[in-house]
Amino acid sequence: MARTLEKRTVDMRTIGEWVEPGSRVLDLGCGRGLLLDYLVQTKQVSALGVDFDFAKVAECVRRGVNAYQGDLLACMRAFPDRHFDRVICSRTLQELQGDPAAVVREALRVGKSVTVGFVNHAFWKNRVAALLHGRKVRNAVYTTAWHESRPSNPLSILDFEDFSATQGITIARRAHLLGDWHSPCPFAPNLLAGYALYDLKR
Amino acid sequence: MSADPAATQTAAPAAGEVGLVEPRDFHCRQPFTFDSGQTLPGFTLRYETYGELNATRDNVVLIAHALSGDHHCAGMHAGDRKPGWWNNLIGPGKAVDTHRFFVVCANVLGGCVGSTGPSSPNPETGRPYGLAFPFVTIRDMVRSQKLLLDHLGVASLAAVIGGSMGGMQVLQWGIEYPLFTKRLLAMATTARESAQAIAFNEVGRQAIMQDPAWNAGDYPREGGPRTGLAIARMMAHITYLSDASMDRKFGRRKKDTADRATYNFDVQFEVESYLKHQGQSFINRFDANSYLYITRALDHFDLAAASGSLEQAFAPVQAETLVLGFTSDWLFPPEQNQAVALALLRAGKRASYAELDTDLGHDSFLLESPELYELVRGFLERPEKHVSDFAI
Repeated sequence: MARTLEKRTVDMRTIGEWVEPGSRVLDLGCGRGLLLDYLVQTKQVSALGVDFDFAKVAECVRRGVNAYQGDLLACMRAFPDRHFDRVICSRTLQELQGDPAAVVREALRVGKSVTVGFVNHAFWKNRVAALLHGRKVRNAVYTTAWHESRPSNPLSILDFEDFSATQGITIARRAHLLGDWHSPCPFAPNLLAGYALYDLKR
Repeated sequence: MSADPAATQTAAPAAGEVGLVEPRDFHCRQPFTFDSGQTLPGFTLRYETYGELNATRDNVVLIAHALSGDHHCAGMHAGDRKPGWWNNLIGPGKAVDTHRFFVVCANVLGGCVGSTGPSSPNPETGRPYGLAFPFVTIRDMVRSQKLLLDHLGVASLAAVIGGSMGGMQVLQWGIEYPLFTKRLLAMATTARESAQAIAFNEVGRQAIMQDPAWNAGDYPREGGPRTGLAIARMMAHITYLSDASMDRKFGRRKKDTADRATYNFDVQFEVESYLKHQGQSFINRFDANSYLYITRALDHFDLAAASGSLEQAFAPVQAETLVLGFTSDWLFPPEQNQAVALALLRAGKRASYAELDTDLGHDSFLLESPELYELVRGFLERPEKHVSDFAI
């Protein structure tokens, strides 16, 4: 658990570095509002989170983080173009039940910049585990057995790079991090990076 | 009248309960001009308070009631069997904690439970105002309650809370008194009624006005269109429930007296008996003209039309807002609650939207739900500025 928490803060700090102080931020799949609370207090952003879960939204409310309970796309459609300085999609894309491409496109419409963060499913340890054990990957990130898990849609760095190229999305910055989610990955990110962050523009 | 709020509590309350309460009357002696331009030389608001006003006079939570509600939202009146209508939410240690907050609730202007309304005597004639009473708006209700709070010496409102028509008042408070109102909690509400909601109100009004005893609003205090008012209430009550909750509560069960299929129109199904009871108990506590006036106030409420757009209407708001919708509410459905929160957000305001999955319909805001309580408590009790420790 401590390790997961540590990873979460690394994630928050890296994402935070790309956030302009005082900007308007939308967090898709905001959970309990930890990231936005952090950004409000360190970057004085005006924040809105979206999550479909009542208990998580209630926790945001308790923290004083603005939150909207509902569908990500429906929420974004209620806002005009470029309403937000930055839309953050941190470990959300692989959890979507619907159309991830539509969510990214809509995020690029309502946000001037979009941060996407995801666990690189092609990380070498996942490959080795799959090869050796022939089972659904289980580790600090993928904690549950298949029968206790929500359907998920894992992606790799190459998948995302391809997607961005075919959609004509500009990648302004990338951060590929090793398995500790902290040290920069010097080469072969699709194999060696555990975590990837992208700063997208339309 | 006494301005000492603590005096409202007349007995030591049981743990967790507000205990015995008595209403008080605030007599405003100043002329009051309604949105319609009509005036009254003064008015009375009947209200209750629970808890203690603090030294800085800013621990105040105002409760705004719905169409058929009143000022008695918590605690017990001597001799009553039932507590106030939101007693599950309000009390010592409850979601709206009277150890912490000074809670105020007033019967609305135009009402009939002690506040000045169409059934009050018109000083010019000595008879009830009837249709001579000025038309009332949600804004009039809010402005008159501000005078009450000024009278009580309230410096600012920690929160205003209300469901349905109470939620409309909550939104109006945020617009009308932005610096006075710190938090807004609106449940099962709308920034304007849909055609369907207006239509239901109109059927209720027609039931009243088509009753010959209505007599163009001129009827004695204890008389009037009792049949029409009962029918209006029966129909409206259906709109507060849901198909699922009615089916669970009544199904097709029949009264014991109707166990044999009888070919007549007496009460046979339990749901008929229930609605009949609702209608009958309503006519003993509600005035038909008040019903006309308050439903009209609901229909006229339209924040977008009043300001050009909902975003412009919310432009003055300074408060932090929480809007709560209920999945099974088909009178003021989730979409209308979402629209309020989204317009606030588009206007750059601090706002949240939460939605509870219930099957109890519009009246879900009165639900006994730990999730609801925790949400309300979490919204109310957080200090204005807080700093979390992110060093993990």
